[in-house]
Amino acid sequence: MQKNGPVALLFHALVVAFVLAPLVVICLVAFTPENTLTMPTTAFSLRWFRAVFEHPDFVTAFGNSLWLATIAASISVAIAVPAGLAIDRYRFPGRDALNGLFLSPLIIPHLVLGVAFLRLFALIGATGSFAWLVLSHVIIVTPYVLRLVLAALSGLDRSAEQAAMTLGASRFTVFRRVTAPMILPGISGGWLIAFINSFDELTMSIFVTSPATVTLPVRMYMYATESIDPMMAAVSALMIALTALAMLALDRVFGLDKILVGEK
Amino acid sequence: MGFLTLEGVSKVYGGLAAVRDVDLAVARGEFVSLLGPSGCGKTTTLQMIAGLVEPTAGRIGLDGRDITREKPNRRGLGVVFQSYALFPHMTVAENVAFGLEMRKVPRAERDRRVAEMLALVHLANLAERYPRQLSGGQRQRVAIARALVIAPPVLLLDEPLSNLDAKLREEMQFELRRIQRSVGTTTIMVTHDQAEALSISDRVVVMEAGRMTQIDAPYRLYEQPATAFISTFVGKMNRLAGVWGDGGVAVAGTVLASAPADVAAGTAVTAWIRPEKLHLRPMGEGRLAGRVASRFFLGGHWLLTVGTEAGDILVSVPNTGEEPAREGEPIGLDWEPASLRVEAGAGAAA
Ligand SMILES: Nc1ncnc2c1ncn2[C@@H]1O[C@H](COP(=O)(O)OP(=O)(O)OP(=O)(O)O)[C@@H](O)[C@H]1O
Ligand SMILES: [Mg+2]
Repeated sequence: MQKNGPVALLFHALVVAFVLAPLVVICLVAFTPENTLTMPTTAFSLRWFRAVFEHPDFVTAFGNSLWLATIAASISVAIAVPAGLAIDRYRFPGRDALNGLFLSPLIIPHLVLGVAFLRLFALIGATGSFAWLVLSHVIIVTPYVLRLVLAALSGLDRSAEQAAMTLGASRFTVFRRVTAPMILPGISGGWLIAFINSFDELTMSIFVTSPATVTLPVRMYMYATESIDPMMAAVSALMIALTALAMLALDRVFGLDKILVGEK
Repeated sequence: MGFLTLEGVSKVYGGLAAVRDVDLAVARGEFVSLLGPSGCGKTTTLQMIAGLVEPTAGRIGLDGRDITREKPNRRGLGVVFQSYALFPHMTVAENVAFGLEMRKVPRAERDRRVAEMLALVHLANLAERYPRQLSGGQRQRVAIARALVIAPPVLLLDEPLSNLDAKLREEMQFELRRIQRSVGTTTIMVTHDQAEALSISDRVVVMEAGRMTQIDAPYRLYEQPATAFISTFVGKMNRLAGVWGDGGVAVAGTVLASAPADVAAGTAVTAWIRPEKLHLRPMGEGRLAGRVASRFFLGGHWLLTVGTEAGDILVSVPNTGEEPAREGEPIGLDWEPASLRVEAGAGAAA
């Protein structure tokens, strides 16, 4: 790869700073001892973090979101892997339609989806159901997983699968022992992106959550409409830390370059 | 009698025939090469034998059994892919053990056979490496070991040496032949390198546009090519266009040879002769006069281009330690009459 010149380096630094600055500010503000959203000047305090855990509704919402994102991401992987295999490997009538259907949630505004699901859930009497909330999240995160699975499959050397077959492996064994391990970076990257998307989805969730199933972003939104205090910053800092940890874990295991850029 | 047989096998891809009606019988323990230019159907033929491509027509038999519709995982053939197709997430030892695992060979025996096979391909010390940590030649040998360890009745190799440098390639040719001899596996190797096909095989199959046009021992293929295409594809060949006239074949007015009996007077004929069948003579001697146009030193021999009335002729002169004629020098060319092959027709070189 070509080395970057000084101007390009400066540009990169500016972009990174621009992206990171709000995150850094939020994390710093979270440690303020003051009652307002200010940078801590004299002292660092864990007061607002303590406040988060003294709000049982926040803890419940966090638990809801964690469950919701875990289950939704897992289900979407279970759907996207077979769907990706079918779309990548076979030419069948309706293949393009299937591909389009799976990707359509990407282009429909979440606001529209939220209203639609609200109506649907009211119609079938599923308002406030956690299972149906999971379903709505599966629908919006599956396209991301499918994209990554398809990218992994298209970069896959088919002859390794053929070699396994000639060595006596059945179709299922080929998938389990060769195909799946080879696209695992794509699958886990997809899972993680699905998890993150589900975890911080707000627009649609506002419509389809009930007090019992309220998610963390919805809870934060409701709290923020009433009052703005540094507790929001503390919650945000916790979320940033969680995401960073997940990314770090993924990078350790597979290397993020490989998953997101597709480098070998 | 053939151990592996193809009878009238064809493969049509959307109206285009990649392989047309080929017949081939390979004996047990034989080493056969499929030789031909790019796109002539070599890989398709090999993959039909492996069971990875389904023939449009015809029948494939193995040891008297019809395997035409059998799934690749039931045929039990060893296949080495051009791209090696190693499993990137498995170590060398795991790659080689895969086929044995599929056959439910007990652990202890599996380990023993993998170790034996890795020793055979000189990779024993790299057993725990991953494919990405190996050189091209080492990967190659892993692929060969993986295919051989299951003791397949037939080994199918698709251009297994095409990605190697000249020296490693030669080494691997010897190695392949040695392994094949010591294990006695019937082997079919695809290649588009004629030198490789000639040096390594018991018999060579030449394919042209989906057909097998000659199946012969390397020596016979070289000496008696069946088609104009094979004459020029296998080894170097001089092609001289001439006319059958009084007293023999005339090329540009010079009578070179007596004509074949079945040619009518006045018809166009083509004469073929290999560069190494021509000898340099002092000017004024020999059957044809010429002038050296260019001269290449190739180590074991010199390759001269000699301009004559009949056109440019390649002459191979063994290196005897003395320099042959220099560029621009006038010389004579001579040959044994039997080494000039004459054919009716303009000999449109395929
Ligand atoms: N899956 C396919 N679909 C359509 N046409 C194909 C397919 N596979 C091969 N062909 C065509 O069949 C012909 C023979 O292909 P094949 O791969 O057997 O050639 P080859 O002799 O192995 O050539 P090379 O030396 O370049 O590998 C080619 O014209 C190719 O374009
Ligand atoms: Mg090929």
